[in-house]
Amino acid sequence: MTVSLGSFSRALDPPLATFAMAIVVIGAVEALIVENFPGSLPIWMPYEFSWTVFLCCVGAAGFYVRGCCSSPQRERPGRWRRTSFFLGVGLIYISMQTWLDYAAQHMFFIHRLQHLILHHTGPFLIALSDPAKVIWRGLPTGLRRGTQIQGVMTCLNILQQPALASFLFVALIYIWPIPSVHYWAMLDPMLYTIMNWSVTIDGILFWSLILDPRPKPLARVSFGVRLICAAAVMFPQMILGAFVVFAERDLYPVYNICGRIFPISGLQDQTYAGLILWVPSTMMSVFALIIILNFIRLNEEDAVTLSGSLR
Amino acid sequence: MIDSVTLSRRSILALVLLLASGCGSKSQWKLVDVKDMYPELKLRMTDVRTGKLMSATDYAGKTVILFFGYSFCPEICPTTLLTLTSVMEQRRELQAKTVVLFVSVDPERDTMEALNRYVESFAPNVTALIGTSNELASLARRYRVAYTVNPGPGSADYTVDHTATVFIFDKTGRLMLLAPYGTGAEDFEHDLLLLA
Repeated sequence: MTVSLGSFSRALDPPLATFAMAIVVIGAVEALIVENFPGSLPIWMPYEFSWTVFLCCVGAAGFYVRGCCSSPQRERPGRWRRTSFFLGVGLIYISMQTWLDYAAQHMFFIHRLQHLILHHTGPFLIALSDPAKVIWRGLPTGLRRGTQIQGVMTCLNILQQPALASFLFVALIYIWPIPSVHYWAMLDPMLYTIMNWSVTIDGILFWSLILDPRPKPLARVSFGVRLICAAAVMFPQMILGAFVVFAERDLYPVYNICGRIFPISGLQDQTYAGLILWVPSTMMSVFALIIILNFIRLNEEDAVTLSGSLR
Repeated sequence: MIDSVTLSRRSILALVLLLASGCGSKSQWKLVDVKDMYPELKLRMTDVRTGKLMSATDYAGKTVILFFGYSFCPEICPTTLLTLTSVMEQRRELQAKTVVLFVSVDPERDTMEALNRYVESFAPNVTALIGTSNELASLARRYRVAYTVNPGPGSADYTVDHTATVFIFDKTGRLMLLAPYGTGAEDFEHDLLLLA
């Protein structure tokens, strides 16, 4: 699992190695500032610096830029796709590496806002940009081989089975807010990290399955199945959101232990959190349905154009 | 600590147990058991009783009770410190074995003298710590403590919010227990006697 810096550098070409070293130096400087001056940090700086988040986000952005540059002109992603990718990665970075993460540890509704970004909006925007091919082009050869390990591919194939992917997506939305689970997830920093990464990775897997612009067999599943998946995950979220909104007692006393940063009651906090679970989360499914319908239309138009040109 | 890619077996086991049972196993503690979840005690602040710069090693061999607050606090801080004082008076043997560290989150108003006068109202093993904004933020972040000081336009508008939880460390500086605001003296007494 451990990769030495030397072997990593050898896997990169010289300009890329220089760039990677620059990123590591920037990260180290940021980590030092965060460690030594916690009382003077602006809200856009990390509350707790995480090398994992930093390297994943900056690495993804870097390889995407490199992939864009090395793609032939006609295969380069358009402006909207590029914007969507950087917005998605940026939102994930902001929600885990700024004041928002500190606030999410102390207010339930901000925690739900953070998960709306990590599980829905961020991965949704990344998937919408259809970045796989571009990032692949941007990866150095050594890392490309790493992504083709049989075990990883098999695991991804299983996790992106439509029924399992939909089940996992809903299951994670239900598991982490179970009061007894949530209690320990907020108190145990390691469990907290697992919670945030689990929803982020699951979000990317789910939305990239749903928002693939290509028809089957190029895409894993047909547009019809994807419509069903996007609609299927919507209703359980509505039910959970409504349950939390209308709960008459504070289900999450753990925030009394963590200490709330805004002067609102536990029930108010919970109501706002329930509304976030209910409305914007389910709206993401509605957006997905509209986008899939648009993909169907575009593919049908392409098919008509193609058949016209063959005639 | 949070950034480690190695998943602790304890975290995974805790998650599995929670999912399987919906509740934790029965514990010997009355307070919230957080053993092995947080880093050990590390601080660098000034003790208002002695005026000395203190570090965690100065408290080695004693159970440390850490609490964040401010001397102008109308309710939470005096209530919590009075509860701890009543425990210390009930169980005098705890006074030599434990130290209560009251960390000021409002160093602008809490001067050394004011804090010293404040802590003298409580048990003799209660002292206050004061530090720079970075020293305070570093200690608070280590244990995920929230605090905000809002100096409004007038003195009546000055508000301070802070985590009201009490953090209890064993003699080696490991964070063992959390006591939410409102924890009774009996529960403190039970667990402090077990730790001492």
